[in-house]
Amino acid sequence: MKIKDGYLLREVAGSNIVVPIGEGAMDFSGVITLNDVGAFIWKSLEEDTTEAELVKKILAEYDIDEETAKSDVKEYIGSLRKADLIAD
Amino acid sequence: MHKLKVADLNLLIKYKYDTMLKQAAFYETDFEKPNITIDIPDETLEEWHKESPHLTIDDIEYVYTGAAFYEALLHFNGFMLHSSGVVKDGYAYLFSADPGTGKSTHTGLWQKHFGEDNARIINDDKPAIRLVDDRLWVYGTPWSGKTDKNLNIKVPLGAIVFLERSEENWVKEIEPREAIPLVMQQTIRPVEKDKMIMLLDMLDRVLSSVKLYRLGCNISDEAVEVSYNGIRVEE
Repeated sequence: MKIKDGYLLREVAGSNIVVPIGEGAMDFSGVITLNDVGAFIWKSLEEDTTEAELVKKILAEYDIDEETAKSDVKEYIGSLRKADLIAD
Repeated sequence: MHKLKVADLNLLIKYKYDTMLKQAAFYETDFEKPNITIDIPDETLEEWHKESPHLTIDDIEYVYTGAAFYEALLHFNGFMLHSSGVVKDGYAYLFSADPGTGKSTHTGLWQKHFGEDNARIINDDKPAIRLVDDRLWVYGTPWSGKTDKNLNIKVPLGAIVFLERSEENWVKEIEPREAIPLVMQQTIRPVEKDKMIMLLDMLDRVLSSVKLYRLGCNISDEAVEVSYNGIRVEE
């Protein structure tokens, strides 16, 4: 799975924001703001990856236990799917 | 082709209808090499006119030359903020909001309160902001919306204020995080990735270095006092 095309993640004045580009930029519905972990997951999802891979990457980057990483990734992917931002 | 200096950029541009002739007159200059060239073919203007028949071809030329300029501006550390800009004590204060909210009404009240010479409208609808020599400047441009209120001057950016209607007058400073979607709503959002990156990098600079406010205001002299005292740059 990966993030759908047509979005750009950028840090603006201390916030991680995602904006639509290309055709999606026309019907602009707002800006998505991500926390640091969210931005990390988003960046990882710019390349095709799996949930297990994401958990591994987070464990290497952040000082958290595997259970927390797993549930964070699940929850995060869930909200991205709900917003129709993930292509399988 | 006309030669203009807009926002400290040499602009080689084609236009022939009344609005542009009138609006651009104060920006005419001479130069060897242009920084930006805008040459929209007549056929293209006529095509756009067919898509928006409620506008005159004159309006179409004015709107689309402006859109072309503001898109090109992104390449020169600049962007447009949909706002009415007023200059007071050497700083430009930009009041931004959706059309019809009362941006121009509010800056008009500033002029009435302080006198037209002490509160000058740099651009009533689409001022340009540029980072030049590590400082943020506001420029007047020929494109100032429905009014002809614009000045060919540059002034340091004082503050950006997001205006809304309110029965009571109030000012509240806001964080960049809150201002990001508001600014994005009030500028031209580029479609191409490289231009979007230019815009966001410019916003990164602007929003981290300038004071940002929300202003609720009615139409009164008190609105000016609350607004001015709440946002003015303290020396």
